[in-house]
Amino acid sequence: MSGEFLKVFLETNGLTKYFGGLAAVYQVDMSVNKGEIVGLIGPNGAGKTTIINLISGFLRSSRGSIIFDGENITGKKPHLIAKIGIGRTFQIVPLFNEFTTLQNVVASFYLSADSSLWGSIFRTSTYRKREEYILNQAEETLQLLGLDKVRDELAKNLPHGYQKMLGLARASAVKPKLLLLDEPIAGMNPDEINLALKAIDQVRSQGVTILLVEHNMMVMSICDRVIAINYGQKIAEGSPEEVKKNEDVIRAYFGGEYAT
Amino acid sequence: MRRRGFFAKREIGKMASYAGLIILLCLAPLFMGSYLIHLAILVLMYIILTSSLRTIYISGQLSLGHAAFVGIGAYTSAILAIRLGWTPWGTMLLGGLAAMIAGILIGFPFSRLRAIYFSMASLFLGIMVTALIAVFPKLTEGYTGLMNIPRLFGFPKEPYYYFFLVLTLVTLFILYRIEHSRVGMTLKAVAQSHLAASSIGISESRARILALAIGCFFAGIAGAGYAHYSTFIAPTDFALMPSIYLLVYLLVGGTGSFAGPVVGAIVLVLIPYMMGGFRGFAPFFLAGVLIIVIFLIPQGIVSLPNRTKSWIRKLHERRVSKSVS
Repeated sequence: MSGEFLKVFLETNGLTKYFGGLAAVYQVDMSVNKGEIVGLIGPNGAGKTTIINLISGFLRSSRGSIIFDGENITGKKPHLIAKIGIGRTFQIVPLFNEFTTLQNVVASFYLSADSSLWGSIFRTSTYRKREEYILNQAEETLQLLGLDKVRDELAKNLPHGYQKMLGLARASAVKPKLLLLDEPIAGMNPDEINLALKAIDQVRSQGVTILLVEHNMMVMSICDRVIAINYGQKIAEGSPEEVKKNEDVIRAYFGGEYAT
Repeated sequence: MRRRGFFAKREIGKMASYAGLIILLCLAPLFMGSYLIHLAILVLMYIILTSSLRTIYISGQLSLGHAAFVGIGAYTSAILAIRLGWTPWGTMLLGGLAAMIAGILIGFPFSRLRAIYFSMASLFLGIMVTALIAVFPKLTEGYTGLMNIPRLFGFPKEPYYYFFLVLTLVTLFILYRIEHSRVGMTLKAVAQSHLAASSIGISESRARILALAIGCFFAGIAGAGYAHYSTFIAPTDFALMPSIYLLVYLLVGGTGSFAGPVVGAIVLVLIPYMMGGFRGFAPFFLAGVLIIVIFLIPQGIVSLPNRTKSWIRKLHERRVSKSVS
C-alpha cells in the first residue's frame, strides 16, 4: 500500500453503543481506506458484530459518529445506507427462503432499478429492457461466485456454505462501494472456506473496499490491516503479523498466562 | 424468461384458453336466472376483495380489517352520489381513492408493526371504522344504513354482471402483473426477511404501504360497486365478521398462489347458497371446511390437483413395492 494515496473511506469517531448498562462498543475510533481490506478481530462477544450493525444502520449508536465517503451517516436507516453504497452480509444469513438462488440475487439488483407501478403493469419497453439487464447481471454474479450450479434451487434448501455465498452474492449485487462481511466463513468446511476466500478476492478485485469481521484468525491472511477489539474497545491495530504478535491480543484470545 | 411485446409468445396458448373462459363468462347470463346472476355478481365482488386482501398478505401483512376499506369505498361513493348528486361512475373511483388514501395513512404507523401486532391493529381499525360510520348519522344514517343509493343501471341485473365481470378481470390482470414484477418481488422480499430486504436497500415501510395502497384501492372500488348495486349499505356489512370471512376465503383457497383467493371466493361464497334450508348452519360449515383445509391441505384447495397427483403416486409406489416384495 506504500506510496499510494490513502483516502479515508470509512471513519468512526468515539463510536459507543450501550445495551442497558453494558457498553458493547466503547469509544472506538477506526478508519478504513479506499480499496483496503480490513479485518476486525476479537474473541466472542467483543463487539465486532455490533460495530457492523452500527455502521450498516441496523443499530443506532449511543454516541459517536460514522463518516462514510465524507458523509455523516450516523443514525441513518439501513435501506438508505444500502443505497449510499454500503452492502453487508450476516453471520446467520437471513435469505429470502421462498425465492430461488437466482431470484435472491435478482431482488438485490432492484435497488438499482426503478420500481414503477406503471412499468410493472403495462410492461413498458424500458421496464423490459431493465428486466433483461438485471437478469444478465444476476447470472453473471452467480457465475462469478460459483453459484450457477444451484441457480434454481430454493434458498432454504441450500447447504450452509452456499447460503453464506449467496449472502455474499446478494450483498455484492447491490454494487456497494464498501462491503461489510460478518463472519463470512463461520461454520464452513475447508473446501467452502477456500471458495469463499476466492469469492471475497473476486469482489475486492472489482474495487470494493471490504471490512470483515472474524474471530477465526485464518482469515487475517487476506487482510491488509487488522483491528483487534476486546470488550468493545480497540486493543491493537496494524498488519496481520503485528497484531498476531501483540500481547494484548494474545491475552484476549488465550488468557493472561500465555502472554509473555 | 424473455418477454417480447405486451404478451410473451409462449403465453399465447394460455391466452387462448383464458379468452375461451372469458367468452364463456360473457355468454353465461343467457342461461342464468336473475337469482343466479345475483350470486355470480356476489362471487365476482368477493374475488376482487379476497385477491386484494392477498396483495396485502404477500407483503407480510395479514389484515383482519380489510372490510373496513371496502366500507370506506362504499360509503364515500354512496354519500357523494346521494348528498351531492354526482354520477356513481365518478364517485366509485373516488371511493377507491378514499380507501387507498385511508390505507396509506394507516400504513405509516402500521408498517412498524409486524405479524400478529399488525393483525391486531388492523382488527381494531376495522372495529373503529364501523363505529365511526355510526357516529355521524347526519352523513351516514348511522346503524340504520344508507338507503336509495343511486343505481348504475336499470332493473335487469345483466349489465351489473358485465360491469363486475370487467372490473374483476381488470383487477386480476393488474394485481397479477404487479405480483409478477419487480414491485411484487419487493413485497414478497419484505415479507420473507425484513433484515435481508433492508440490507439490499429495500425500504420495508415503503413496500408495505404500497401493498396497502394497492389492496385498499381495489377493495374500495369493489365496495363502491356493491353499494350502487344493492342500493343499501349498513355499517355491519363492513364490520369484523366480513373481514374474517375474507380471510377464511383466502386461507381456504390458498395464500401461496394467485388463483387461491379466486378459487376460495368462488367455492365458499356459493356453499351457503347451496345449503338450501340449512343456510343457518353455514358458519359452522365454513369453520369445519377451514379446519379440514388447514390440517389436510395447508396450501389451500388450489393445491388439490397437485396434492392428489402426489397421493396417487405414493399409492402407486406402495403397490409397486408390495408386488416386488
